[in-house]
Amino acid sequence: MDGNGPVIPNFGQGDACVTGDHTFCWGWVRDHWSDTLGPALWQHVELTAVAVGIGFAIAFPLALLAHRFRKLEQPLGAFSALLYTIPSIALFQLLVPFTGITWTTVEIALVAYTLVILFPNVVAGLRSAPPDVVEAAEGMGLTRLQVLLRIELPLALPAIVAGLRIAVVSTISIGTIAAFLLPKGLGYPIFVALGNPIPFKTEIYAAGGLAVGLALLCDAGLVVLRWALAPWTRLARA
Amino acid sequence: MIRKHTRRAAKAAFAISLGVAIVIGLVTAGLARPAHATTKASPTIVIGTKNFAEEFILGQLYKQALEARGFKVSYKENIGATEIVHPALRSGKINFYPEYTGVVVQVIYNHASSPKTAAATYRLAKALEAKKGITAMKPTPFSDTDALAVTNATAKKYRLKTVGDLKKVGSFKLGGPPTCKTRTTCFLGYTKQYGITKASFFPLGIGLSYTALDRGQVLAADVFTTDPPLAKPSKYTVLADPKHVTGFQNVTPLVRTSVLKAAGPKFTKTVNAVSAKLTTPAIAAMNKAFYVDKQSAKSIAQKFLKANGLL
Amino acid sequence: MIVAGAFGDAFRFIADNPGFLATKALDQVELSAAALAIALALALPLGIVLGHLHRGSSIAIGSSIVGRALPSLVLIGVFLTFLGIGFVNNMVALAVLGTGPVLTNSYEAVDGVERDVVEAARGMGMTHLQILRRVELPLALPLLFTGIRVAAVTIVATAPVASVAGGGGLGDIIVNQASYRLSGVLAASLCVMALSTAVFVGLAGLQAAVTPRGLRRTTVARTPLRKEQL
Repeated sequence: MDGNGPVIPNFGQGDACVTGDHTFCWGWVRDHWSDTLGPALWQHVELTAVAVGIGFAIAFPLALLAHRFRKLEQPLGAFSALLYTIPSIALFQLLVPFTGITWTTVEIALVAYTLVILFPNVVAGLRSAPPDVVEAAEGMGLTRLQVLLRIELPLALPAIVAGLRIAVVSTISIGTIAAFLLPKGLGYPIFVALGNPIPFKTEIYAAGGLAVGLALLCDAGLVVLRWALAPWTRLARA
Repeated sequence: MIRKHTRRAAKAAFAISLGVAIVIGLVTAGLARPAHATTKASPTIVIGTKNFAEEFILGQLYKQALEARGFKVSYKENIGATEIVHPALRSGKINFYPEYTGVVVQVIYNHASSPKTAAATYRLAKALEAKKGITAMKPTPFSDTDALAVTNATAKKYRLKTVGDLKKVGSFKLGGPPTCKTRTTCFLGYTKQYGITKASFFPLGIGLSYTALDRGQVLAADVFTTDPPLAKPSKYTVLADPKHVTGFQNVTPLVRTSVLKAAGPKFTKTVNAVSAKLTTPAIAAMNKAFYVDKQSAKSIAQKFLKANGLL
Repeated sequence: MIVAGAFGDAFRFIADNPGFLATKALDQVELSAAALAIALALALPLGIVLGHLHRGSSIAIGSSIVGRALPSLVLIGVFLTFLGIGFVNNMVALAVLGTGPVLTNSYEAVDGVERDVVEAARGMGMTHLQILRRVELPLALPLLFTGIRVAAVTIVATAPVASVAGGGGLGDIIVNQASYRLSGVLAASLCVMALSTAVFVGLAGLQAAVTPRGLRRTTVARTPLRKEQL
């Protein structure tokens, strides 16, 4: 050891709230927004957006195919029902031999879950056009494509948005479990807080609150989107 | 004819969506992949850490000091316990992480008992790692060992001073992180070396030891000697370990020898300069800043390095 | 090849440690059963009564939205600050997860029974209790059971998360790769998957068995539209 010992700087005192293990400390949230909570929130948004985006990009054409070729629906439906029962904590681990402990692993699992939700919803939505309306349209000389674009898809909108709502909210929720695999997303601050000799309440509540708040906000946003895209549903159902 | 239309439309929709999916997938996969290959001159130092706060602080200290000297660093926090991080180092997924000398000897290389001094422990660790192409760099002045703690009330009730005294208690629960159960520096060592036969192991998440002690869910729990709750005056009593079951645990940065050579003397100098400053009071203050004052590892490391002219 | 090896090791782990895995699985089942029991005791009567009265639809729908938005990890973490680590905390957190689907489905099941049928029963002079017992509940049974099934699968699949708070059954192995290696983690993951699939299939079978014959045709299992957080 060399002669001159270290200078121990002032690392910044936690205020009485933090050191006293109080229930919730706004000051800490403010001070650590930029280095802890903010990045975690942003990672969570990114995680969710990519998962739902890819999930939708896959589920939508598959649903169109299943709608057109009804024979496909059963096998696809059975496949997604099977996926549905795999717990996320297990699925993340089961993918590790394939894709390692990576962001990709997390996304693959989350995409799988969004598929399970979106596919049946889109199919059900496409089915929701009353057969006599479709027949009438075909009678008027509309092609199948026109029927799809002008009648079936608009009528499917509410069901599609309903599927998106469940998919987004579930993905945000399951996304916290990703912290079992990677130090990312809103689950991670909770993990760290639980690792403190005295579990740090503020961090658990703040990260948890952000996760729940993000989910409810997205849910509300999609309801507004549905009103905008399909104004007729405003009256139909609360 | 109608069929053809739809089929084409469906196919087109499918193709477009699949294309979009693949593009997004590739982009994210690309973004997620760490930059491994860089110029030969200075390899990227891929720093990993174990799964608790002291390691996060150590990781940040070495990361920021190296970055300040112009090294390229990729930082992977909280990879897992020794049993996971060390294989990652061996396989090259990371090439640098801070480890404890006694853990190297007793956990990684399975030596049944600890050498008698801190210096001997480091020498043995260095020799063992050298055979695997890993260099154990100069150890820190501070040491942080596992220890068994009980509440003061328990200590008084059974008159406990040393680990061996636990034999007086009868059957009891001993809590600790899951890995503790099978380690000779932890549960396995305590029970064997001191002949404690009536202890059953209760797995706890890291950091939950004190909660479990407070609630009486375990009678004794495995803790770290640098934990802030143990700072005097404390609610807890640490049981003395005259047989040195927990060994000597100074931190030695483990680095792949090939990377050490490629990175040159500036690398060694930078890392050693950081390690030399890490005395027991220094690390205790940093642990307290993390655990009690809830500062982030990043800002704690930054302030410490600045104060000591290492940034 | 690496992949095949990893899963080969996992199956070997299962073959070598059947007793250990069974014990952990049993812990998980115990925890899940206790949580489900609480969820049912709270939510089932509430949902049924609200449905019978056609009141409180906002509570039922709201609880499903909020329930889905509550991540299991958050619940377990939050309850841990009140209840400490261990069985009670985990049971309560999982029970909360289960109440959402049970409450929503039981409400919708009873609320959705055709009004004409209920009116006819009332016209015959049946009391509230009689209507509920002889008319509404039998007709509501399939959907009611769907709620129970979703809750059960959700709880059993989420239970491993409780390992962060001491005692998550098979989850204890999943979070402890250090001791059990990747083979153990994968083995436990496979067991968790098998367990929740078994619960899903078992309850689907039970559901088919208890559904009154007249209703069977209409309740052919549909792909679930609700995916509660797993």
